[in-house]
Amino acid sequence: MKLSKKVVLLGHFGVGKTSLFKRFIDNEFSEEYKVTLGVQIKKKVVILPDGRELSMIIWDAEGHSNSVEDTRKSYLLGSHAFIYVFDLTREDTYIHLNKDLTYLKENYKVPTKVLGNKLDLVNEKEMIAALKSKDIPFDCLTSAKTNKNVQQFFSDLSIEITT
Amino acid sequence: MEEQDKLKILKELLLTEEKEFTDSLAEKVEELTKIVHQKKELSYKVDPIIDDKLDDFVREIPKTLGPTITEALKEEIKNSQDAVVEALFPIIGKMIKKYIAQEMRLLSENISRNTRKAFSFKNWFRRTAAKAQGITEGDLAISDYNKPRLVQMFVIEKNSGILIADYSPLSDNTIDKEMVAGMLTAIKSFVEDAFEGGDQNLELIEYELFTIHIQNFYSYYVAAVISGAYTMMFKEVLEDQIIDFATHNISSKDLENSTLFTQKLKKHFADEIV
Repeated sequence: MKLSKKVVLLGHFGVGKTSLFKRFIDNEFSEEYKVTLGVQIKKKVVILPDGRELSMIIWDAEGHSNSVEDTRKSYLLGSHAFIYVFDLTREDTYIHLNKDLTYLKENYKVPTKVLGNKLDLVNEKEMIAALKSKDIPFDCLTSAKTNKNVQQFFSDLSIEITT
Repeated sequence: MEEQDKLKILKELLLTEEKEFTDSLAEKVEELTKIVHQKKELSYKVDPIIDDKLDDFVREIPKTLGPTITEALKEEIKNSQDAVVEALFPIIGKMIKKYIAQEMRLLSENISRNTRKAFSFKNWFRRTAAKAQGITEGDLAISDYNKPRLVQMFVIEKNSGILIADYSPLSDNTIDKEMVAGMLTAIKSFVEDAFEGGDQNLELIEYELFTIHIQNFYSYYVAAVISGAYTMMFKEVLEDQIIDFATHNISSKDLENSTLFTQKLKKHFADEIV
């Protein structure tokens, strides 16, 4: 039986949502920054450990400037998971993270995974310590540029949303 | 008291105010020197002025430079007509080519069908119908040619945009239907959000030779891609057929079983709609 799941990428402008999206789906990366307007949708078929095929329909929503509440609500409806992306080099992209996570949890009963992106630009150990000291929760730190942890993250997510 | 001391006292008495004034001037000069020589300090003072001037400049551009730029562009286009045609030709040519290809395909389909049916009962009936309506058989054939046809049908989960089932009577099927379902849902959501009009739904998308008929149900919607003339009569018949399909064939179980749903969809819409 066909298995399809909708996953939405959320986060501030310029945190690397589209780069993660392209890295995961097409294994491509570009230094050029183009703002996403509205939403772009792509599909990736993932083979699950039990052999089933999962069509992961990923919605790369345009970034918000203040809070995740600014994101068009209709884009979020019917999602099976959210990926909240923040930029490890810009504190303003994760300063309201806890508030945003509470909003998502209260309004949409689906798992939200938190990704700190642009790992190639920071010292990983120092960054983890800094995030912990600021009480910023995260599930994974990635670099769309170097592909660090990207494939593993999506692979883990595909298992989580199908079990 | 010596002469020198007396003079000093006298100086102090007479020049106190001047000394204070001189000291304050020296202090101000020192402050200004600091501002002028330290980039940060100078920038703090000067930046707002430059920003204001720049804003004024940007605001004034359309007034001051606009007419000159427009004139220059007009002149350039006038002088380089060949270059403009050269640049536009591939785009226009491609559009015309695409249009002709589409028309030729439809015409070829029509000729093949008509050839096959030339000696059929239907053909005899058409001749009689044309005579009865007082029009030529050719006019009747043209109206047949522009007849609306179902190209593709999607059943899509309303909020998620996940494709539940799809059917196409045409064999040429190269598009990624799951992505189309997602994009259709995003377009639909965008339009419905953008023009706040209560609980209204997007029901029609038109693009050149095709029309996408959208029919909304509670948890899913049906999108039917139609080629040819999408008339009110056709719309009514299509709506009735979709409602009939939804009423008699779709249960909540079907929505979870996409394979079964697709089979039912094929069976129901295999025949021509009108």
